[in-house]
Amino acid sequence: MKTRRTVPILGILFPVLLLVLYSFVTSTNELKDESQKPITESNTSGEAGVEFSNLDVEAMDKLQNALDYLSNLKQFSVKVQSTLEDMDGFGHRVDYEMASKVVLKRPNKLRTEQHGGWYDQTFYYNGESITMYHSKENVYATGPAPENIDEMFHFARDTYGISAPVSDLLYTNAFELLSYEINYAVVVDMELINEVECDHLLFSRPGVDFQIWVAKDGAPLPYKYVITDTTTPELLSYTIVMRDWNIAPIVSKKEFNFKPPHGANVIEFQKLD
Amino acid sequence: MKTYIDTNRRLFGIVVAIIFLFLGEAMEAQAGHMHRATRRRTAVVVSSATHQKDQAAAAAAQPAQAPAPAPAPAPAPAPAPATTNNNQPVAIGTVLSTLPGGCVANPVNNVQYYHCGVNFYRVVFQANNLVYVASDPPTQ
Repeated sequence: MKTRRTVPILGILFPVLLLVLYSFVTSTNELKDESQKPITESNTSGEAGVEFSNLDVEAMDKLQNALDYLSNLKQFSVKVQSTLEDMDGFGHRVDYEMASKVVLKRPNKLRTEQHGGWYDQTFYYNGESITMYHSKENVYATGPAPENIDEMFHFARDTYGISAPVSDLLYTNAFELLSYEINYAVVVDMELINEVECDHLLFSRPGVDFQIWVAKDGAPLPYKYVITDTTTPELLSYTIVMRDWNIAPIVSKKEFNFKPPHGANVIEFQKLD
Repeated sequence: MKTYIDTNRRLFGIVVAIIFLFLGEAMEAQAGHMHRATRRRTAVVVSSATHQKDQAAAAAAQPAQAPAPAPAPAPAPAPAPATTNNNQPVAIGTVLSTLPGGCVANPVNNVQYYHCGVNFYRVVFQANNLVYVASDPPTQ
């Protein structure tokens, strides 16, 4: 008689217990899902549906911290190793290397020395003109330029297609420019670049991804910067590794003024079409 | 007695069936969680693409604004090396990254030219590259 009563009661209680257990498991999963969301995630409901923007606040802060630090430096020098990825005519990827040294004095002085297969030249900007000197050919081109470094970068790029090494990071408003239309930002990991502990940050905007490695301790200097073109299936990158930062170099105005060596001939900057 | 045993067996069978039913759903929920985790990583790309489309649509619907400068493009590769025969005239404006053999420097009024057989080349900076552009003979 006791058995008769117990079995139906168990038959009712068991499913109830299972229901409780099931609810607990599913609610735990949802909590886990919530914890995996980025630090900030804006969900905007509109006619087109739900829109996500994954901007990790920590990644954005670290980027701004590094770029603001650079823009506030009055002068600095850095050695740069650049790798340009390209495709040869037979479908094989080929990387081209270039070594540079950048000396910058704000607001309107810049000198870059570039050495590589295509480049063996020095670029001068003294606040009034830009000059490119090719030492092997002993030729140089010179022309008037805007009065500050930001406008000079725009002018040189838009008029002649000239880009200085790592110029993205040298603008005084670099953060504003680089964060424009960013729709993805994350801290990837902590990694070593030339034995310097760096935060590895990844950002994406339409048509381009870029990564930057910023020193974790001390001055937030960048040690590596990668631009990846996401509009082509090859996803080719332009990689820049920086070393030997000197944030207090001894520089004189003469370093930014070009004095033609004996026998140097004049050539022209070819304007973009 | 037999009836009670049959009843117990039926109840036991129902309970077991319910257990399997809920266990199945619970396992499916776990698998779904893993699937969502994978999809989330992929969804970033998808939502980014959607974001671009929405932005493009919004841009098309709104008055044009001056775009902010993009990150500087990587320097373009230099033109192909010369394979030109100096005895054959090349089209004016042809761009070479290196000169063919047998060229002679011919500066005119401090402007650098090269004389290569029947061709003349003017040296210019094309973006960050030093290149040689086929040109008319320089005037003294």
